[in-house]
Amino acid sequence: MENTIKVERAILSITQDELAKKIGVSRQTINSIEANRYVPSTVLALKLSEVFNKPVNAFFKLTEDD
Amino acid sequence: MNFKKINECERSRLERWSQFQLSHRWKRVGIIICLVAFGILTSLKFMDGEFLEHRFVLRRAILIGLLIITLSKEQLEDEMIVSLRAKSFTLAFVLAVLYALIQPLVNALVFYILDSKDISNGFSYFQVLSFMLLIQILFFEVLKRNR
Repeated sequence: MENTIKVERAILSITQDELAKKIGVSRQTINSIEANRYVPSTVLALKLSEVFNKPVNAFFKLTEDD
Repeated sequence: MNFKKINECERSRLERWSQFQLSHRWKRVGIIICLVAFGILTSLKFMDGEFLEHRFVLRRAILIGLLIITLSKEQLEDEMIVSLRAKSFTLAFVLAVLYALIQPLVNALVFYILDSKDISNGFSYFQVLSFMLLIQILFFEVLKRNR
């Protein structure tokens, strides 16, 4: 799974910490998601979708390994 | 009550029990219990006397302290923390079983190498449980730090 959360965050010009507070997780969790070390749950993905105002598959993409 | 209702009731009760956790402030309580009990247990080693009952109680206090640390929440308990905790429980469980399997072999090996007079075949529940709880706490902290 790949994602463009870092790009989306840059578009909104918010920090990892600000995004984390908006969706109720820790900054480290956002960092892990951005680095593709952690795949978030559907609930978290939908919360991100709400913040970015885009559908989930606009910033989460399946890779060949998935 | 039909089978479906019994099934539903059982599932919800299990769900509730599996999600049981203590609040974050309990972590400090667990650490204090462990340190105090460990300190007293260590000081008993240097005193004359058997202190069997004291040791029995202090060992249980250490286990309870470790269990409290294991069950207490983080300051910010998000889904990644839950996932890391689950991973650390799995690792601790597997390692504790391996420890229980390997420990008698190590005892036997030491027996043959040192040519001891008596071989101890068993090990205490305290050894296994404290190993399992310590490994869980250790792995959880390592996973949390490297996330």
